[in-house]
Amino acid sequence: MSSALRSIWETLWGLLVEDGQLAVGIVVSLAIVWAIGTYGDVTLRDLTGWLLLVLLVALTLANLYRAGLNARRKITAKGA
Amino acid sequence: MDLQTALVAATPAFIASAVEFVEATTIVLAVGVTRGWRAPLVGTVFAVITLALLIGTLGVTIVTIVPEHLLKGIVGSLLLLFGLRWLRKAVLRFAGIVALHDEEVIYQRELAELRAQGLKRTEFDRIGAIVAYKAVLLEGTEVAFIVIAFGASGAAALNSAIVGAIAAGIFVVILGAALRQPLTMVPENWMKFGVGAILSSFGVFWFAEGLGAEWPGDALSLVPILGVYLLASWIATRMLAVILPEGAHVEARNV
Repeated sequence: MSSALRSIWETLWGLLVEDGQLAVGIVVSLAIVWAIGTYGDVTLRDLTGWLLLVLLVALTLANLYRAGLNARRKITAKGA
Repeated sequence: MDLQTALVAATPAFIASAVEFVEATTIVLAVGVTRGWRAPLVGTVFAVITLALLIGTLGVTIVTIVPEHLLKGIVGSLLLLFGLRWLRKAVLRFAGIVALHDEEVIYQRELAELRAQGLKRTEFDRIGAIVAYKAVLLEGTEVAFIVIAFGASGAAALNSAIVGAIAAGIFVVILGAALRQPLTMVPENWMKFGVGAILSSFGVFWFAEGLGAEWPGDALSLVPILGVYLLASWIATRMLAVILPEGAHVEARNV
């Protein structure tokens, strides 16, 4: 039981803290696409999947770019 | 249920579950080698029984009671949260920004910890059994999630996902038994990268289906979706190589 609780805690911690910005971005993307799919017409609704894919790819690339810059800044600070 | 539908549900579940089974098998092997095989095998059997009950009750209940479109939306969201996280970490590892998750290091650490606790072969090794139980239950819970996620579209898909996960378990256990050493030959980061891309692809596919969207070619749309993720990952790896050519090899939480 304790291992299961620990697993849940570690997963939540990883999702919301370690990768919090990515998780928030995913939730926002899902909310945007959900709003379009719910209130848009049928044509727009059929495009929601592709729109979600574009949003998530852009989000992931931006997140990784930022992670790269963060790592470079830390390496530079350590070397100085 | 036709063969194509069965494969769609079983193959991703097989690949995703194999990753988890590799981790669990590594720990069980470490316990078995250092403290004897009886206790870790008992622990493993109990963990498998616990998991079977979990999947048998929770999984079937979810599939039969919750409306399909709602379930697809929820599961799609969860798959994206997990899948993109795996994909992100795998890309950071490929680019050398984050240190590789080394199964050999984990195996040696497990060996050292278990040896430090000493060997008592005359009585039942409770520690060995508990360590194996926890490891199998921990990784198995993730397998249960994978099975439920990939089997979300109905009872037949759930059965296929269960078959895929069981097949992965048998495959990895046979592999582990044959090798009797850490499963370092399995390129873990490649596996996690592939699983992350597959989970994310299914996440997009199911979330849109949950909203009522129709994909051109139905499940065949998964191929271009996966292609987009693979292309984006390659671009991201190249981009990171330009930003930090020598890499950083830090822990994931530091980026």
